[in-house]
Amino acid sequence: MKLQLLYVDELRGFYKSKVMLFLWIGLPIVALLFRFIQSSTTGQAIPFTVISALIVSSLAGTLAAVMLAVSIINEKNRHVYELFLIRPLKRRDIILSKFLSVYTCVAVASFIAIFVGVAADYFTSGVISATVFQDTAQSLAISLSMVAVSCSAGVLIGVAAPSVLVGAILVIYGGNQVSVIPLVPTLLNLPQADLFTVGLAAAVSIALLTVAVTLFERKQF
Amino acid sequence: MANDSLNGKACVVLREVTKDYIGIRALDRVSFEIKEGEIFGYIGPNGAGKTTTLKILVGLINDFWGEVYIGQYQLPKQKLEAHKLLGYLPQSVAFQEWRTVNHALKTFGKLSGLTEEEVEDRIPKTLELLGLADVRHKKISQLSGGMTQKVGLAQALLHNPKLLVMDEPLGGLDPLSRHQFKEIVLKLAKGGTTILFSSHILSDVQDVADRIGILNRGRIKMVGSMNELKNQLYSQKIVEVFFSHESDKWQMLGTVKNVNKVEQPSPGRVLVYLQTGADEDHVLNDTVKKIVELGIRISSIGMLSPSLDEIYLNYVQKEEKA
Repeated sequence: MKLQLLYVDELRGFYKSKVMLFLWIGLPIVALLFRFIQSSTTGQAIPFTVISALIVSSLAGTLAAVMLAVSIINEKNRHVYELFLIRPLKRRDIILSKFLSVYTCVAVASFIAIFVGVAADYFTSGVISATVFQDTAQSLAISLSMVAVSCSAGVLIGVAAPSVLVGAILVIYGGNQVSVIPLVPTLLNLPQADLFTVGLAAAVSIALLTVAVTLFERKQF
Repeated sequence: MANDSLNGKACVVLREVTKDYIGIRALDRVSFEIKEGEIFGYIGPNGAGKTTTLKILVGLINDFWGEVYIGQYQLPKQKLEAHKLLGYLPQSVAFQEWRTVNHALKTFGKLSGLTEEEVEDRIPKTLELLGLADVRHKKISQLSGGMTQKVGLAQALLHNPKLLVMDEPLGGLDPLSRHQFKEIVLKLAKGGTTILFSSHILSDVQDVADRIGILNRGRIKMVGSMNELKNQLYSQKIVEVFFSHESDKWQMLGTVKNVNKVEQPSPGRVLVYLQTGADEDHVLNDTVKKIVELGIRISSIGMLSPSLDEIYLNYVQKEEKA
């Protein structure tokens, strides 16, 4: 109940932020521009769904992780959490609500970008190929798996890092590398690689969040 | 050990509470109790350990030795139950920048267990009480420091907590707001709320606190009412006399029985120092008789009552000498 309240509350805070505005509006525009630049220089257009997935997982994942880490460090250092922690709620709910709200916002941004991709492909080629929905679902699964790991890394860094600068550096250099882990099954050409990707991402995310929650529980404010 | 000393009367109990930071003992066997409905002022110099004590009490610091109870609940084991009884105003209150006053109060009210209806009912009343009705829908980040402090107080009061803990609540408030704050505190205590607050503004502590605790270098030095503190820390009793006209006969008051010495710090104002153990009523009577006998006209006479500032300064000076 408290987690739900905090989640809705955090969503309100994040969806109005400029970063989310960029993800929801800017991300599809960047993807569109990238596609047309790429098709005009090579003459061959990579399906837009693929480009959307690539951009969502790299750009959105990094942005979400930075936003989470910076937000947590900032609020921690400004003593914002004191007013939450003296109330009858579990500390882990504060951390999980942040993760879930940002992840939800990024998931919505991913849907928008990929939907715009499918629409752009339809308007430029005039047809939707038979496999487009399967490709889209696959792209979405990979993107959201990588974003989940990025967000979890962002939360952990936010809880552990002492300053915004240290946090941002750790996210950019560390968080990005960790988010590639779910791609390992695909790179190894394992059978049912997509399923493994989602499973691996879930396991890594849960592990990172567990460490983050444990650190937050032990923290003295 | 269960909280036997409570018996439904004490709201806060600290027993032998000790807290170490790396290489520093912040609190050293701090013990005191606060009864239900009591206003407890917590004073001490900077770095004495006041904020650490309050943070342990509200569950922000869980790593300490000793026993802490809020009501019947022991911290940190029964923190969730204890937190249902608690309202807290930190020294530097901070909110997420995107929140409006209304939104922040809604969230904190619900997190404290209020229903939607209760929140909607109490927010306007609490804001009205604190003079914040006009800023209900403003972003907190747009408010001044003093107003933000009041919003902090609003979130602490909204759910009618049984125990209200405030760390330097008067910092940043203007004189009118300080006066309003003291009235609110007195009203809450009359309604049964137990209040613990730390402050550097000793005159304000003196105005509202039923009992006062003095903390220095992590140790509780004294706990008691103003009168008890006066008796313990300011044992020198003094009669203060104001003459209507300046008179050079004032030194004759030194002949009154049980008087130690007489001083005239300023023309027309005479201080008569009593011997240790002397009965103040008798000396006061004898002094009046002597004044009449000497034919001096007086405008006022009474026992000099030291303020909390004077008691505190006297105590700190003694500590430094020791």
